[in-house]
Amino acid sequence: MNRRGFFALASGAAFAAPLFATRATAAEPQVRLRELYNNDMSFTDFALEHEGQRVAIEGFMAPPLKAESEFYVLTNRPMAVCPFCSDAAEWPNDILAVYAQRVVDVIPFNVKIITRGTLELGTYTDPELGFVSRVRVVDAVQERA
Amino acid sequence: MFRRTLTSSLAVALCASTAIAQDLPQAGSDYFTAAQGVLAERVNAQPNTNVAKNVILFVVDGMGINTNFGIRVFDGQQKGMLGEEHNLPHDLYPNSAIIKTFNINAQTPDSAPTAGAMNTGVKQVFNTINMADTVIHDDCSTEAPLTLLSEMLSEAGKSVGVVSTARITHATGAAVYAKTANRNWENNAPEGCVDIATQLVDQMEAGVVDIALGGGARSFAPEGTEIEVGAGNRPDDVNLIERASEMGAELVYTAEQLAAADMSAPVLGLFTASDMNYEHDRPEGEPSIADMTAAAIEKLQANEDGFYLMVEPGRVDHASHGGNAHRTFTDGVAFAEALALADEMTDDEDTLIIVTGDHEHAIVFNGYCGRGTPITGLCMDVASGQVEHSGEPVLAADGKPYTVVGFGNGAGSVLVEQEDGTYSGERPELTQEEAMDPDYLQQALIPASSESHSPVDVGLWAKGPWAHLFGGTMDQEMIFHVMHHATLEAEAAE
Repeated sequence: MNRRGFFALASGAAFAAPLFATRATAAEPQVRLRELYNNDMSFTDFALEHEGQRVAIEGFMAPPLKAESEFYVLTNRPMAVCPFCSDAAEWPNDILAVYAQRVVDVIPFNVKIITRGTLELGTYTDPELGFVSRVRVVDAVQERA
Repeated sequence: MFRRTLTSSLAVALCASTAIAQDLPQAGSDYFTAAQGVLAERVNAQPNTNVAKNVILFVVDGMGINTNFGIRVFDGQQKGMLGEEHNLPHDLYPNSAIIKTFNINAQTPDSAPTAGAMNTGVKQVFNTINMADTVIHDDCSTEAPLTLLSEMLSEAGKSVGVVSTARITHATGAAVYAKTANRNWENNAPEGCVDIATQLVDQMEAGVVDIALGGGARSFAPEGTEIEVGAGNRPDDVNLIERASEMGAELVYTAEQLAAADMSAPVLGLFTASDMNYEHDRPEGEPSIADMTAAAIEKLQANEDGFYLMVEPGRVDHASHGGNAHRTFTDGVAFAEALALADEMTDDEDTLIIVTGDHEHAIVFNGYCGRGTPITGLCMDVASGQVEHSGEPVLAADGKPYTVVGFGNGAGSVLVEQEDGTYSGERPELTQEEAMDPDYLQQALIPASSESHSPVDVGLWAKGPWAHLFGGTMDQEMIFHVMHHATLEAEAAE
């Protein structure tokens, strides 16, 4: 399946995020982003066991697709944009779409962060950005690691 | 482990009769005797002036001398050695040269004109492929196409193949069959010019390209059209996959399909929508570069007049752009395995094998580290009393350890953007576990979204007919001239 994003022009439509959950107070289990995916892009046992639960994921904030947004993409390694690799954004397969609780303060792409939120699995197409994701963290907050 | 030598009885005799070996205290050293063996090999080497029926050109994208060193040590350490003493297959080839890589208008080259030089015999313009020196990048009206080695060899009856772990329309692979004023015109070109994906199918239809294996399926189908490995992204409504199929080509999308391919017709293998996966991340079902190389050789060997195959381990380059030495080296090891297989499947008597890089990266190797220091890890101190390192990290002036590998620029920069837009920072503390993590980005100096190429020379290693024509320091376009001489000129001279 195609997991790469397709970016519609900014439409001004209300930003619609998937199901939000109430933030838990207990300390979340913390893993690295790569621990959500197997090499064949199937979900790991950790991902399957924590669907719908609060988790903390270590990764890097990709340069935002849109200013003043609650949405960003978490990557396993810093999202280096290679001028000779492609003429367009090349998303790796192992990414995580994040819907934050509030408009995100951008953190440089090469600074490790921890994103805390509720893990959602399954294909979802963002109605505004057209961004297709297979795994998301919603109701999220993030901080430098 | 010492260098493997092909010591003949004559060579043994030469060693035994060498007076130097009898008197010196170092004569019993394994280093000494191994060197004597190589010496004998060199003394007895005879140039191979056969006609090259086949030519295999490995262009390891982004592998200069530095990167080759890193792959060598990494591979050796993976095999249980200290690492430095190891040799990659091509390290043992009898002929080599230092290759200059600049483009007509660029000190630091890109992969399009460098591969173009290898396929046409002339230097080319930055970001263009196989165009005369009058071309203006991105200006369709200035296109002035050159004639390709693949076209000449095809005309002479040979088969042609191209294999890449990057998109098959990406610069290096494209240089075998395409001509364009902009390397990024992979799926679309201005009116009057032809995009690279279309050029590949055109060249298959013309009988120039017989097999093409790699990633990049998306450039072969209209935007949104579901294909076996994702969706198309062509802005026009042209479905090149359907066109290739209608003209009789065999389409394959998985390792299993490749292994089972009939191979009697032209073969187009498109295994991923964009680039293929790094070897570290490669899922089961996606062929390795060795799988693709072997399949291509098997197909091409059906032509008794011979073949020209270019193999591009393309993601060695991408990993260095990302500042991640682990993937640079693991893709490098995968390349070495493909090369060894290609060597096994062919005969030095009639097959010229050339290994080179198209350019180096801004990758550096710090010192002073002891023997066996893990090449992706912290620099460990030299131990007194030999041989292996002390296990104690060498500390920099800031009191912190550092990795063997570093980058001059890139995403691993220690200078980080601050909230006010300025850049500052210091080298973070680093453990061996963190440094050797496969996802670790080695520290870099200059902050950049992507680590850059470097303009320094690269190595070239060759064996087979006329490989001895390589030597000294040469310009990149000499690769074309030697391949041309070894095949067409040598045949004409017979």
